[in-house]
Amino acid sequence: MSLLAQPRRFGAVNWLGLATLAWREGRRGLKDYNYQLLGPIVSALLYLAIFHLAWSTIGAGGAAAMLAFIAPGLVVFVACEKAFENACGSLIFDKHERVIADLLMAPLSPIERVLGYLGGACAAGWVVGAAVAIAALLFAPLGLHDPLALVFFGLMGTVLHSLIGILVGIWAEKWDSYAAIHTFLLLPLAFLSGLFYRVQDLPALGQALLLFNPVFYVIDGFRYGVSGEAAASLGKGAVVLVAVNLALFVLAWVWLRRGYRLKP
Amino acid sequence: MRRSQLPAAAVAPKVRAIMSDMVSTRLAPRRYGRINWIGLAALYRKEVRRFWAVATQTILAPMVTGLLFLAIFVLALGRQAGTIGGVSYMEFLAPGLIMMAMTQNAFANTSSSLLIAKVQGNIVDLLMPPLSPLELTLGVALGGLTRGLAVGIATAAAIGVFVPLGAAQPFFLVFHAVMASLMLAQLGVLAGILCEKFDHMAAVTNFVVTPLAFLSGTFYSTERLPEFGQLLAHLNPFFYMIDGFRYGMIGHADGSLVLGIGVLGGVNLALLAVNYRAFARGWRLKA
Repeated sequence: MSLLAQPRRFGAVNWLGLATLAWREGRRGLKDYNYQLLGPIVSALLYLAIFHLAWSTIGAGGAAAMLAFIAPGLVVFVACEKAFENACGSLIFDKHERVIADLLMAPLSPIERVLGYLGGACAAGWVVGAAVAIAALLFAPLGLHDPLALVFFGLMGTVLHSLIGILVGIWAEKWDSYAAIHTFLLLPLAFLSGLFYRVQDLPALGQALLLFNPVFYVIDGFRYGVSGEAAASLGKGAVVLVAVNLALFVLAWVWLRRGYRLKP
Repeated sequence: MRRSQLPAAAVAPKVRAIMSDMVSTRLAPRRYGRINWIGLAALYRKEVRRFWAVATQTILAPMVTGLLFLAIFVLALGRQAGTIGGVSYMEFLAPGLIMMAMTQNAFANTSSSLLIAKVQGNIVDLLMPPLSPLELTLGVALGGLTRGLAVGIATAAAIGVFVPLGAAQPFFLVFHAVMASLMLAQLGVLAGILCEKFDHMAAVTNFVVTPLAFLSGTFYSTERLPEFGQLLAHLNPFFYMIDGFRYGMIGHADGSLVLGIGVLGGVNLALLAVNYRAFARGWRLKA
């Protein structure tokens, strides 16, 4: 009897709670796989198709090389989008449905909460990215030039987007904010990051601005991992991404610890 | 003077007048002519206000997306591309992007309006008022048409900053803008009636509307596709919208304009008939 009445004790980290939160978050974003996996696959293939058709109908040679250039970027872009959508969507949904208390009541420390959301969102992003990569393989050659760079930059990209998703999810009160951040921040950052064109095709000002876009380093580094082609220094990209991610992580941790916009 | 001191003879005619007024007009059902104009206008106004209230998302967002597409395609292909149909690739691309924004938003307006009303349960507000199936279809669809045209004007204004936009054939420009927006608005009405969950709508958007819009000849000239590809492209109604609209802007068309007008008119009429029937029967709307 005395055993039952005592509070549970955890070590330094509540591993069970952390794993449960990450598992719930990851599963949540993938359980309706018809839409959640097939949707991104179809849209990624559409991008490949329209670029291929546009490229081959203008009569320029090297359509295959262009697909090989775009495909790795698309894979990591889709994974990042999914990571953002997963973290942000799930927080806003829980706030709206007033079930966010399930998160706040559970014996998890703020850092475990951030890590749980981060883990689930990144995992969902990687699953979707892998599915898109397999589908894209049917049409575009995807190699494996440097697995370490691929994993590192893929991870940094999904972590970056998950953290943005967590922050927006905590801050937002309406779905409008989610859509606004997606359309006015993330989509431009990704589309103008050298996803579809080479850096040297940009005007000088664009090239200078690109260096301030963290998503550029994600796509560039990931592409290096796949094909060995990189436009910027990988070391610099790694430093920028680690620094940005660390800053966002600390902010998310502070917000969750204070209960900013979550607790009364 | 106290009330009881009022002479009965003075009060009686007033009471009689009020009574007869209540019986003859207030208690009788309202009568309309052939079309309930007030109801139709109210429904249309509601549909327009619905998107206007969140214009950042419904007008500004598609405008930004259109600009992004312009940027990536011009940066990726602009240097290699020569001229298509006598104009630069940029000028070829612009009308397609404007049309794509219009159609996608016309569809989004009507489909989300009906679906949200169904999910939230306030669809009765649409079904209870004295509106005929035709008025329902038109009221919602014209709201979508308005959203499509508003997005088209906004996107054209933004793209016009970077690309010279003309109006070689103003009639075709306006005709295709209106008919295409109306068609997608009506398709949205049908999808809103058919779908029961947001997931269903996401599937329709992802697997039907976006592919048809993307593979319509917005980004490339179908003239230069292999023969089989051309045949497939010409089976897609979106092709005729974009092609006709582009003809209106730059005066060059890939396909037959007469056929395009026929397809757009025919599909619009068919959709009107289907939507009319769906509202009349209360298909997936009434218990």
